[in-house]
Amino acid sequence: MREWEEGRKDREESRKRLLESLAMSIGNIGRGWKIYRRSLLAVLGLVMVLSVSLVAIFADEIAVQHPYRNLTDTEDKWSNNPDQQESPPFSEECSLRAQKITTNPNSPLFSETVVAESGNKVRESIALGYYTDVLSVTEIIKIESISPPGYDQDMSLITVDPNNSSIFVLSPELYGNSSYYAGVWITYLYENDEMSHWWMPEGYDTCIFGTNKEGHDVFSKVVYGARVSLTIGITVATLTVTIGTIVGSISGYYGGRVDEVIMRICDVFFAIPGLILAMAFVAAMRSVSSLTLPVWLGVLLPVLMLAYFLNAHLSTTILSGDNKVSDQAMGMLMKNRSLLVSVLAFLFFVGWLPAIAWSDFFGVSHSRGWRLTSSLVVIALLAAIILADRKFVQKNSMDGALERLSSSFDWTNPWRYLNFRTVVVFLSMAILFKLSGNEGSEIILIKDFDKLWQVQFALIFTGWPGYARLIRGQVLYVKEMAFVEAAKSVGAPPSRIMFRHILPNAWAPLLVAFTLDIGGTILSASGLSFLGLGAAPYTAEWGLMISESRVAFQRAPHMMLYPGLAIAITVLGFNLLGDGIRDVVDPKNRR
Amino acid sequence: MKLHEFVVRRLLLLIPVMIGVAVFTFAVAQIIPGDPAALQCGDKCGLIVGYTEEGEPITAHQANRERLKLDDPVSIQFERYITDLVNGDWGESQKNGRPVLDIIKTSAPVTLEMAFFSLMIAYPLGIFLGIISAVRQDRMFDHVSRFFAIAFVSLPIFWFAMLLQLYFATGPEVGGICDPIFGTEGGCFPIFDRHDQSYTYPIEGYHWFYPEAGTGFHLVDSWFVTDAKLAELPSEFDTNRELFMDTLTHLVLPCSALGIASSGSLLRYMRASLLEVLHEDYVRTARAKGLSEFRVVVVHACRNAMVPIVTILGFSIGGAIGGAVLTESVFGIHGMGTVAVLGILQLEYQIVMGVTLLTSVIFLLSNLIVDIAYAIVDPRVRLE
Repeated sequence: MREWEEGRKDREESRKRLLESLAMSIGNIGRGWKIYRRSLLAVLGLVMVLSVSLVAIFADEIAVQHPYRNLTDTEDKWSNNPDQQESPPFSEECSLRAQKITTNPNSPLFSETVVAESGNKVRESIALGYYTDVLSVTEIIKIESISPPGYDQDMSLITVDPNNSSIFVLSPELYGNSSYYAGVWITYLYENDEMSHWWMPEGYDTCIFGTNKEGHDVFSKVVYGARVSLTIGITVATLTVTIGTIVGSISGYYGGRVDEVIMRICDVFFAIPGLILAMAFVAAMRSVSSLTLPVWLGVLLPVLMLAYFLNAHLSTTILSGDNKVSDQAMGMLMKNRSLLVSVLAFLFFVGWLPAIAWSDFFGVSHSRGWRLTSSLVVIALLAAIILADRKFVQKNSMDGALERLSSSFDWTNPWRYLNFRTVVVFLSMAILFKLSGNEGSEIILIKDFDKLWQVQFALIFTGWPGYARLIRGQVLYVKEMAFVEAAKSVGAPPSRIMFRHILPNAWAPLLVAFTLDIGGTILSASGLSFLGLGAAPYTAEWGLMISESRVAFQRAPHMMLYPGLAIAITVLGFNLLGDGIRDVVDPKNRR
Repeated sequence: MKLHEFVVRRLLLLIPVMIGVAVFTFAVAQIIPGDPAALQCGDKCGLIVGYTEEGEPITAHQANRERLKLDDPVSIQFERYITDLVNGDWGESQKNGRPVLDIIKTSAPVTLEMAFFSLMIAYPLGIFLGIISAVRQDRMFDHVSRFFAIAFVSLPIFWFAMLLQLYFATGPEVGGICDPIFGTEGGCFPIFDRHDQSYTYPIEGYHWFYPEAGTGFHLVDSWFVTDAKLAELPSEFDTNRELFMDTLTHLVLPCSALGIASSGSLLRYMRASLLEVLHEDYVRTARAKGLSEFRVVVVHACRNAMVPIVTILGFSIGGAIGGAVLTESVFGIHGMGTVAVLGILQLEYQIVMGVTLLTSVIFLLSNLIVDIAYAIVDPRVRLE
């Protein structure tokens, strides 16, 4: 074990290298920016994307809290408020309220002065009860009797207290007159100090885009919609890129039969028009309420991933021989693969495998017995396969494995491990940790697998083949280059060649496709929502808002105008950004 | 490779993809939640419809499961699904028992008609603007048209369709711009549906002329409506021609929405393709011969630049069908997209399977035809 002081030289060396590469990438970005800014449209696109992102990040600050908006509404779930009618942009009606006033002196609720207050608003949680805002009245519009309804009454019956603009004073003839015994409706204009907004001009606190049929502020919904749409776009694009890259590079690198199978699967996906495919996937995922993994998969997948990435490292440290762990296991599997395939085929055709419900197959089962048995069986099977290979045990001695392992890890030099791969691993772990939960014997990957998640997964399923094909082409092209040959000849493992040598040389079209795909995803997701297959009702999703506006779009076009404009601007921004990046990464433009 | 070899090879390549699509649709139908047997009997599922030999009661639900053979292993169900498909039995709607193939037969032509006319708008528009854009590279027109090309690609098509409705199919009190200019009443074009609202639909899902001519294409069918039927119609539709014009005007807005949206990408392809061709030697030769610039561009360059554009035709058809789902929804047209959406919302998985399968068949066949056409035009393709 080395001392901390001993590693100082290495530390400094690694740090220097890290800083150098950082400086280099900053230089690259600077050069790219110089090419990028040549195109006005590209700069415009960047501005659009940045402004939409800023709106999404600061949605809580920007969105106006609408008077009718219930406080339990969150950024993407808005309640139904059937009483309120839509009002056009900038209309006074948004600061208009009708309040019921009891005029029967015998009623326990009766008082000669009445406070002007907003409707009940729910506190942060319903258990904390309700509260109301006190409003300051600017003008009384009309006074109506409740029974018989709809008759305008004399405006002098109720006056506003001159000292306090939020108190109504009832005149004696109102409560002395038995014809008003049921009370009156008073309609008035008001200002609500609770809702004054820091960036809004005086008097336009609400309704710059009008309200919709439920009385939700369209502006606030559009603002929160940026959050929803960007989340969908970025999540889907990231995951499709990841899956597509992995599949495509495997397909391109190994070629042959693997390539053939993967490409035929991609052909199937290409054969069905994207939107219809996504619709079918959404339908298929209707009953999934949370994305869970059985324990065996939850444990096995990370272990396998780590084993794959650290394959070379582990095989030189844990094992003294030069046989790699995966080679052994794979060799065993490969040798008996015809047997395995025939067993599987037998099970399938006898009808035993289909007896397992599909939901169990995808790990969404709720039966405890199935989970336990399947976990045990799978882990035992894998262990048996590895251990049964006697050659593996004979050839390799495990003596001193721990020592070798610890000596291979240089704990005195943390800089050495600060690279792109670790950053990505930690980032994805943090995101997964945030989304996931734990319930009994199942690992829950995504706790709240709501309709938005269903849309996202549908779009991921439909999106990956495009990337796979793109990356495959790139890999096929780069694979033939001399440096790959050189890496192969010095014995670099396939994973290293793929991630270290091929992918860094194939990322340029990927970056462009990624940027364009964010826009495309936002479009498809809003299309699905528009058809009623996407976001749940009342969500602040732009496509859904347009869909909800359809009933009255001739009478109230503002309900569909602004969300549509928001989609168009966001998607246009990403498309222009993608075009700009294409110019930057185009080798013709590098000077 | 000879041409017929090429065609046979392409046809053979279709088979695994078609099998894959069938597997896919089957898998989706398996995963879609909801019990088809329970869907069919609705609230009468508990009703006892008979007794087994042992005297145990059979409920309507059980009888349905028995009839649909849902208790069989998945592998056997799949085998039956494939044989039924080949035999032309695509299942039936669980709500009203109408055969899926019948539903598709009336709805698919509607969508195809729309897709066809939208491409008729998209291709000339995209190619024409693309040529001008390429000829005037880096000038004002180029920048503007490229911006619009990206903007059209970025527009949500359903929103664009609604805007068209708002501005071209309504009166001035709503925001329509037509009436003051053209002197029309209530907009230039009809706002909704596939023909005039005063028609009636005698059978659910069939359009008005369908029983007369039976092609399913409204434009074709409207020519073959008999005089007896015409006499039943309101007075403004006395002749087949008026009927035809009515169905045609109903197509204008949906097809413009679809066509303009897809012309954006065509413009960009055409521009890139023509720019490449303009640097070729034979174009320089043509210029050196002293031909007019118009002749050089249109006759010499464009013909070669168009070849790659034709190959996108196959993909455009797929895109147009996808876009048609949204446009149909906006304009209330009973096409394949509407049928698919309703199928998903009502868990009619047979219909979803049928539509998915049919769209993929259309897409694959159009791609095949385009590829063969390409191989005829450009013999180099065959050599691969």
